[in-house]
Amino acid sequence: MRILVVEDEPKLGNALREGLEQEQYDVTLARTAEEAFYLLCSERFDLVTLDVMLPTRSGLEILARVRQNGMQTPVLLLTARDSVEDRVMGLDSGADDYLVKPFAFPELLARIRALLRRGSAEKAPRLNLGSLVMDSASRSVTRDGALIELTAREYDLLEYLLRNQGSVVSREMLSRNVWKETARATPIDNVIDVHVARLRRKIDDGFESKLLHTVRGVGFILREEPGRV
Amino acid sequence: MKLFVPRHIRTRLTAAFVGVLAIVLLLYSAAAGSILLHDLRNQMVRYAIQDLETVEGLLYFSPDGQLLLRDDYHNHPESKLVLERLVEVRSPDGRVLLANSLLGHRSLGNQVIQNEGENGYSPRLLTLADGVRVQLVSRRHLIDGRPVIIRIAYEEKPLWDQLQAGLMALVLPLPLILSLAAVGGFLLASQALKPIETLARKAEAITSENLHERLPVNPSDGELADLARVFNTVLVRLEQSFEQLRRFTSDASHELRTPLAAMRSVGEVGLRKDADAAAYRDVIGSMLEEANQLTRLVDSLLAIARADARQVELRKAVFPAVDLARECVLLFEAVLDEGDQRLTLEAAEDEVVCGDWLLLRQALVNVVHNAIKYTPRGGAIVLRVIRSTATGQVIFEVEDTGPGIPVEALEKVFDRFFRADPARSREQGGAGLGLSIARWNVAANGGEITAHKGKTGGCLVRIALPFAATEHDARDRGSTLQSVL
Repeated sequence: MRILVVEDEPKLGNALREGLEQEQYDVTLARTAEEAFYLLCSERFDLVTLDVMLPTRSGLEILARVRQNGMQTPVLLLTARDSVEDRVMGLDSGADDYLVKPFAFPELLARIRALLRRGSAEKAPRLNLGSLVMDSASRSVTRDGALIELTAREYDLLEYLLRNQGSVVSREMLSRNVWKETARATPIDNVIDVHVARLRRKIDDGFESKLLHTVRGVGFILREEPGRV
Repeated sequence: MKLFVPRHIRTRLTAAFVGVLAIVLLLYSAAAGSILLHDLRNQMVRYAIQDLETVEGLLYFSPDGQLLLRDDYHNHPESKLVLERLVEVRSPDGRVLLANSLLGHRSLGNQVIQNEGENGYSPRLLTLADGVRVQLVSRRHLIDGRPVIIRIAYEEKPLWDQLQAGLMALVLPLPLILSLAAVGGFLLASQALKPIETLARKAEAITSENLHERLPVNPSDGELADLARVFNTVLVRLEQSFEQLRRFTSDASHELRTPLAAMRSVGEVGLRKDADAAAYRDVIGSMLEEANQLTRLVDSLLAIARADARQVELRKAVFPAVDLARECVLLFEAVLDEGDQRLTLEAAEDEVVCGDWLLLRQALVNVVHNAIKYTPRGGAIVLRVIRSTATGQVIFEVEDTGPGIPVEALEKVFDRFFRADPARSREQGGAGLGLSIARWNVAANGGEITAHKGKTGGCLVRIALPFAATEHDARDRGSTLQSVL
């Protein structure tokens, strides 16, 4: 999968490239609007992350231009401005999604994954990780065949973690996607922590291999870690 | 055409004053002139009539039937020359019987008009053939038993000369009067406006550096004293908001600096030693935690800034108050459980609120979150939804069993960065912006948020929202009622 990262801030650009390369993406970095425009016209990418505020011209301008040329590639806008008007303007000029700086890297990954698999509707009735199985038809969860009782919120939380298994999810992602909090300033971090702690107790207590891990400073990850027991 | 408008009020006042005065004086002169003209005419007619009577006695027919005017009554023969009268005598059938030498070949009206001079003197104006305007009177008489019509006329020119002289006497001093009035008016206006100038100069000297200074209020200045007073109240408000801003900036930079300092020290210390991957991971994680803290803080500040700039758009709707309360309880259920705390919801089912759900929810969430933070393990929190019978407001009350807030600090809890207990760490206490955001959200919905001392000594926060007596309300209730039935 080829990703074009358009970002003028060198530190952030390099961090994005490195992080995405670690996720096995093929990354090209463009530092100016002109370079981005040239690359978009001459090469094919599967996805573009586009900084809105570029030194010479706005990322939105580039976007509108290449959309006019018929480019269908999904575009994820990265911007430090997040008023509603900015959002609307971004989506109007042809962006597919919108992420406000500073963002959590796992969130960026999740958005990229979502954009890349868009179209190929994927709603697996059964989600699982090792011996942990979720059946969305009956809304039941079992581990090693034993039924685990979950509250509705815990179920949603686990479902989200399972869908993003193997990648870190930040508290912000959980806040928005599981708790549906729209305002970034609403303080529900301790609410999330408490739910994660309870979920961990229910799915990991008494089992050799732990599935739900905390990544300090970043968030949580659901994965099998056979090495660490 | 663009009129020239002077910049200074005193110039404008003077100009207006002089203008009005000039118009008044001109109107007065015109009126006086026309009265004078009228009087002069009457006078002339009167003279002419008297003269006519005199002339009648001087007329006689000579033996050969010619009409003559006796002019041998003058003591001095040259006195004849000063006579200005024009005399013409005609027979009733229009023949000219006599015309004096001053009249010469001119005629005082060719035809005899009907009833001329029969029942009066028929005074009238006439323009002679050579363009001279005259005032004319006529009279029918019997001279030596023969009827004649005597016409006496005076040129009008002396009358106009007299009028002109009279008018000149009125108009000539006008410029002098007006310029005196202008000088006087200007001085008066300057005098009256002087306090304003003083005020302006004083106000000009007040900048953000010396906002504590006030304008002098001199009660004898009347309206201007009111102006100074109003200006002073504006200054008070301005000073307050400046002070608030100053405090906010210093608080904000403190709050921003703390996580930055932590991040820096953790990073620097982490780099000083050689450690294994796990230790580095820990250092990085710790730094990221601080970065998250900063992000959260900036988000809150942004929310407040946006609220201050009135950039938040309200999406008002009518909804049951209890729904809002229930959602907050539900959100914190697990947290309460974990802390072994109890939250009791005491709510009337049928109260409705009109407002922006998201903003009100955030406000209530912040208040409840605050209550949970300050309530000790095993403590109780009560969330009440009641309607005030007095005001009709819907009231949310959140009462905790924490240590409470000192009475003198009750006002300040909604201030930005306020923390009841400064010793509390950031992790526990947050940045002190939650209640501040709550206050704005409630105010934006027309409500009011206040802090009180609870019955058990804890803190009681009350959110009072205006009564949602809208059509919506009634319809909404109607429909729920129907669906229940």
